[in-house]
Amino acid sequence: MFTRLYEQIAADPINLAAAIITLIVLVAGAAYIVTYPRLFMLGLKNLRRHFLRTALTSAAIGVLAFMITTIWTIIFFIDLITVERSKDLKIIVTYRWSVPSQMPITHADYLNPASSQFLPELVDAQGNKLYGPNDFMTWSFYGGTTDPAKITPDTLILFFVMEPEQIIPMMDDLGDLDPKLVEALKDKPQGCLLGTDKLKALDKKVGERFKLTSINYKGIDLEFEIVGVLPDGRYNASAIMRMDYFNKSFEQYARANNGRAHPLANKRLNLIWLRVGDRDKFDQIGSIVMKSPRFSNFPVKVETASSLVGSFLDAYRDIFLAMKFVIVPGMLVIMALVMANAISITVRERRGEMAVMKVLGYRPNQVFLLIVGEAVFVGAVAGLLAAGATFAFFNLRWGGIPFRIGFFPVFRIPEAALMWGLAIGTLTALAGCLIPAWTARSVKVSEVFSKVA
Amino acid sequence: MRTLRNPFLNWLVEHPTAAGFAVVGAGIVLLALLPILLYVLPIRKVPLRYNLRNLQNRWKTTLVTALAFTFVTGLLTGMLSFVRGMDRLTESSGHPGNVIVLSDGATDEAFSNLPPMAVEQLPRDLQREVQKTEDGQWLFSKEVYVIVMYMIPNPSAGGRERRFVQMRGLDNIPVAAAVHDVKLAVGDWPREPFVRKVDGFGNAKEIVIGHGVARAFGSDVGKKMLEPGDTVVLGPETWVVSGVMEEGGNSFGSEIWTRDLFVQQGFGRENSYCSYVVRTASADKAKLAAQEIKNFKLERNLQAFTERAYYAKMSETSKQFSFAIYIVAVIMAIGGVLGVMNTMYAAISQRGKDIGVLRLMGYRRWQILLSFQLESLLIALLGGVLVCVVAFLLFNGTTVSSIISSGVGGGGKSVVLRLIFDTFVFGFGLTFSLLMGALGGFFPSLSAMRLRPLESLR
Repeated sequence: MFTRLYEQIAADPINLAAAIITLIVLVAGAAYIVTYPRLFMLGLKNLRRHFLRTALTSAAIGVLAFMITTIWTIIFFIDLITVERSKDLKIIVTYRWSVPSQMPITHADYLNPASSQFLPELVDAQGNKLYGPNDFMTWSFYGGTTDPAKITPDTLILFFVMEPEQIIPMMDDLGDLDPKLVEALKDKPQGCLLGTDKLKALDKKVGERFKLTSINYKGIDLEFEIVGVLPDGRYNASAIMRMDYFNKSFEQYARANNGRAHPLANKRLNLIWLRVGDRDKFDQIGSIVMKSPRFSNFPVKVETASSLVGSFLDAYRDIFLAMKFVIVPGMLVIMALVMANAISITVRERRGEMAVMKVLGYRPNQVFLLIVGEAVFVGAVAGLLAAGATFAFFNLRWGGIPFRIGFFPVFRIPEAALMWGLAIGTLTALAGCLIPAWTARSVKVSEVFSKVA
Repeated sequence: MRTLRNPFLNWLVEHPTAAGFAVVGAGIVLLALLPILLYVLPIRKVPLRYNLRNLQNRWKTTLVTALAFTFVTGLLTGMLSFVRGMDRLTESSGHPGNVIVLSDGATDEAFSNLPPMAVEQLPRDLQREVQKTEDGQWLFSKEVYVIVMYMIPNPSAGGRERRFVQMRGLDNIPVAAAVHDVKLAVGDWPREPFVRKVDGFGNAKEIVIGHGVARAFGSDVGKKMLEPGDTVVLGPETWVVSGVMEEGGNSFGSEIWTRDLFVQQGFGRENSYCSYVVRTASADKAKLAAQEIKNFKLERNLQAFTERAYYAKMSETSKQFSFAIYIVAVIMAIGGVLGVMNTMYAAISQRGKDIGVLRLMGYRRWQILLSFQLESLLIALLGGVLVCVVAFLLFNGTTVSSIISSGVGGGGKSVVLRLIFDTFVFGFGLTFSLLMGALGGFFPSLSAMRLRPLESLR
């Protein structure tokens, strides 16, 4: 968990800012308790004395922090996958001019280091290939339904068609996959791995079989045996099948149709992935692939995974912008207003108390700190608890937020979200309490007591 | 199912769950607005002046609470206007008399693969249902639809470098325009030979672009919109704009139209189409024709839908966002309600003596409840009205890009839509705001009602 938290902080400036704020809150809070223990205890007593108001304000901050954590998780995830990572850089090769990308299967041979047709330009002067067999992967997409009369998300399965040995080294987030699952897939030509949601939707168990009627390769209807389940999370709605089984089905189709190839037989390769390591290698390999005459019949383009995903999500761009720059800031303002209202009511009600404190020798700054301390305590604790509840609620119940956008079925709430809750609770409390706290600091003893008199 | 004559009753029978929610919702709204209704009746009640003066005296708290309402309702109406825009777009994208034909199994045009076909190949009785233009051409359009790569000219450093754009190749562009009810705002439809000489580029193929595309491409080159005569590079070719479609609020505004052959040859769809669209005389005839086409065998099985049904299926994304928006709205509302409770509890604790005096003056408990409930509603109304005015002035008509899809099997269409702030959105926003006020004020008002006069005066 701490490794993931560290990675999330390093990968995103907002997480870094949240981590810094968390650190400041913890250090400043500890310093406050050590320096002014009586003031801290007085603040706690005040919060308990006005329990209803404390509870209502905390609940209001909590539900809004819950919502912000949920929305920001989606934004965070989308930012993460559409921003290029400097390490583990992967090239995606696709058809150049249109989508969906459809290429001849022979394109894979030119880029497969294990193939005899590997492009000679991709071998350096010392005879070393610019990337190894574990840095190469191909994808085809095979979609089908278990019930052709009723095509719904539950009856529909979209397979990543690939070589089993490419799963662990190349698939994002499947590096920790149990190797036994890969072996099981290698053992059974008709084998497949299914995500947990798909397994549930089909109402099947490992070892059972099912038949699919294809929706994107008309006439290529296949039977499968479930050999394992993909880990919970990103691949819950996905499935993986073997490339050789897919390729053989086209040969069978041709045999069954008097030698006439399937209309899409020559366009059944969708994507080629190459891991290149860094930007320089990306430029070098990308340039070679783009210039190679081998691809002139079906021209290709190369791009990073983040760039491709970004292009696919382009249609959602305005929605994401609205979430990021309108909805979340709007909610933060509401939180600050709720806090400002609660604190200003408190200050107005406790003017007499502030005056007595001053008479007893408390300095104006200490009165200011008392009010700020109470507000920040409520905001930080409510924010932290809300983020923790959001994290537990979504991640444990569904493996993340079940909101399908493009090809992402769920968005797992990151560990860093706990810091988001604390940071937004603290910041909105600070924003909401500064003016009322300043008013409390400026309470004039003579004015208060003259009114009382 | 039995059809009732009254369309409203018919709807209730056909949608029992929605009707149940609607009835419960209407009941809640009525209860929330009850204080306002009672204040209109000629019965004895705490004077409205009293509440207004209190709000005026505590103007800072009133303003901050109203502002919280403004933000909650503002976010809700903004999100709702987006959903309305999506709904309007999918509703107006299909003609009631049109039938769209795809290859069997395809859930989206992009995945459909059909051979060339002519109306004359259809059975005679089906041919009779197909309408004709004034000059006797079948209102039948063969269309090939692809999503192509548009490289943005001179992209800014770190900015986006390309867009996916939707291109539709048509066998007869003016006939397709008649089938889809698309008109040109400026320029002309491409004509034979569909290619013209452009200075600096040589021969360029002619295209007609949707209003949304014209605006998006225009912004890429620092213009408000692309105009006839402008050129764009799509795929390996240079294309020249011959016309820009009228802004019609349908999905075609986000498309580029050209001759079918150019798309087939340029983007690997040789001699194939994605859809046929047929115009019949009416919605009923379209339904019958769709059924008959399903039974008709060409080289492969066909599936046919009325165009309205097809675009209704494409509203899955919109439904998903609507659902999410209502969830967000409810959670925000809880925050708002808790905020207003705070304000009202504070108001009541400060005005214990007022309440005691009112009770001694003879006002009953329910009248005290009504008075405080009304005060809460007034704050909500202030926030709600404020947001309606601001949202309308700032955002009405703003265009945003989005996607419509069936949610099954991938695909979907990028669309440009307008945010719609209509009576429904404002009505919903205002009612929502009042509901928050009613709920937020209810428990504090109850506690005010239960105060004993002598105790509160001590």
